[in-house]
Amino acid sequence: MAKIIVVTSGKGGVGKTTSAAAIATGLALRGNKTVVIDFDVGLRNLDLIMGCERRVVYDLVNVIQGDAGINQAMIRDKRVENLHILPASQTRDKDALTSEGVEKILDALVEDFDYIVCDSPAGIERGAQLAMYFADEAVVVTNPEVSSVRDSDRILGLLSSKTRRAEQNRDPIKEHLLITRYNPSRVDGGDMLNLDDICEILAINLIGLIPESEAVLRASNQGIPVTHDQKSDAGQAYTDTVSRLLGETVPLRFHEYQKKGLLSRVFGGGRR
Amino acid sequence: MSLKMDRASMAFTFKGGMLPMTVMELTSGDPERIRDQLAGKLSQSPAFFQHTPVVLSVEKLDEPHLSLERICAVCRANKLLPVAVRGGADPVKQSAWALGLGWFPPQELRTRSLESVTPPSEEPVEQDDTPAAALATPTGRIFRGTVRSGQQVSAQEGDLVVIGAVNAGAEVLAAGNIHVYGALRGRALAGIHGDHEAAIFCRELDAELLSVAGNYKRLEDIDPRLLGSTVQVSLSEDQLAIAALT
Repeated sequence: MAKIIVVTSGKGGVGKTTSAAAIATGLALRGNKTVVIDFDVGLRNLDLIMGCERRVVYDLVNVIQGDAGINQAMIRDKRVENLHILPASQTRDKDALTSEGVEKILDALVEDFDYIVCDSPAGIERGAQLAMYFADEAVVVTNPEVSSVRDSDRILGLLSSKTRRAEQNRDPIKEHLLITRYNPSRVDGGDMLNLDDICEILAINLIGLIPESEAVLRASNQGIPVTHDQKSDAGQAYTDTVSRLLGETVPLRFHEYQKKGLLSRVFGGGRR
Repeated sequence: MSLKMDRASMAFTFKGGMLPMTVMELTSGDPERIRDQLAGKLSQSPAFFQHTPVVLSVEKLDEPHLSLERICAVCRANKLLPVAVRGGADPVKQSAWALGLGWFPPQELRTRSLESVTPPSEEPVEQDDTPAAALATPTGRIFRGTVRSGQQVSAQEGDLVVIGAVNAGAEVLAAGNIHVYGALRGRALAGIHGDHEAAIFCRELDAELLSVAGNYKRLEDIDPRLLGSTVQVSLSEDQLAIAALT
């Protein structure tokens, strides 16, 4: 039985797709059979981040409408065994998604996979709601910025009311906070919200903290999820995040400002 | 018939409910005077007169024989729909029933506790109101957890207690008091049905808006020295007063 994890945020541009790709890659690298689904119908990006844009034939909407089978639409990742990508349609809009269609796809995948990662579109409309509706766990991606925190707060409200688990009165969705684009020196300077303040407002378990990093942009443009770049702080931080998702206890890194020496950069610095 | 009736076979169920209702408190029993005043009101706020149901209160009238039928006709002609009469002597009650209207006992009798036989006096109103308010609002609501942006939690009767924070963009409302055992960053409206005695209490004040019985203050109007502290907010001479709780 696969665990369904939605990566969501409310606000756009905070790093949902980057995080979904990095987490799915990390889970697969740890030996879990994983599929990552792009729910952003109309603004397809996940295939670019995963570097498989040239191999897309069928997409999520084709499967929902019965034009293609699920196995025809899923793309095998070239780098990691066990990792599959189900791309979104670029030519449709989010009305093409139906609750029954999404349920049918997830039901078909749940038996074969260990993890299903749903990359949610921004906003709180249909696409975002369908991405979260069937989830067992949620990774709420937040930037250290007031508007992002407020939107995440809104999403957390929806997670506790507008999801299958909530409607069926089952155990609530496990909510995890993932802070991305964290820049300790700007936090110290007062430009960014501090880690403790974000955690206090959102009041959920912190699953990871990804420092602002050049490696992320580079990874996006190369189409290689940043988890593969284990020399980078962001890559290591995503690996830590995946370990915590798998239930391990890993100390938090990269949250304190360090005067950058070469050694501390290479070895990750920030140990408490 | 057995009590275990199938839900599908039931034609109706009885539900308790508290609906907002306009009470038309008559200070004159003269249909002509009522007609004149209604005509004035109708031109001022026509939106209000849309077959609005009203309860005619005759408690303040000292007329045993009221031309209830004519008063009702005047109301209907002005798009008010009398549904019941409150107070009045026995003949009034009989004629209300004859007209197909309901009858409520006078308010004082309904709200005062049964054993109190003290004669009506010129006591200050709140003295009389306190037990009544407590009686009318025996319930309330306790919310555990964070009230998040976009969520609204309300207690239509009694107090609202939030064990957690109220985040920015969230709204908490109560007929009575609001207690927030956490940070209050959103909007808090106490006394939404007009209870001037209602108050707001919170552990950490950072509210977007505070309101008691419709009197409000925005974050901008709040003394910055009080922000972040434990406070109580109450009405004092129609002004919101915020005081630190120590």
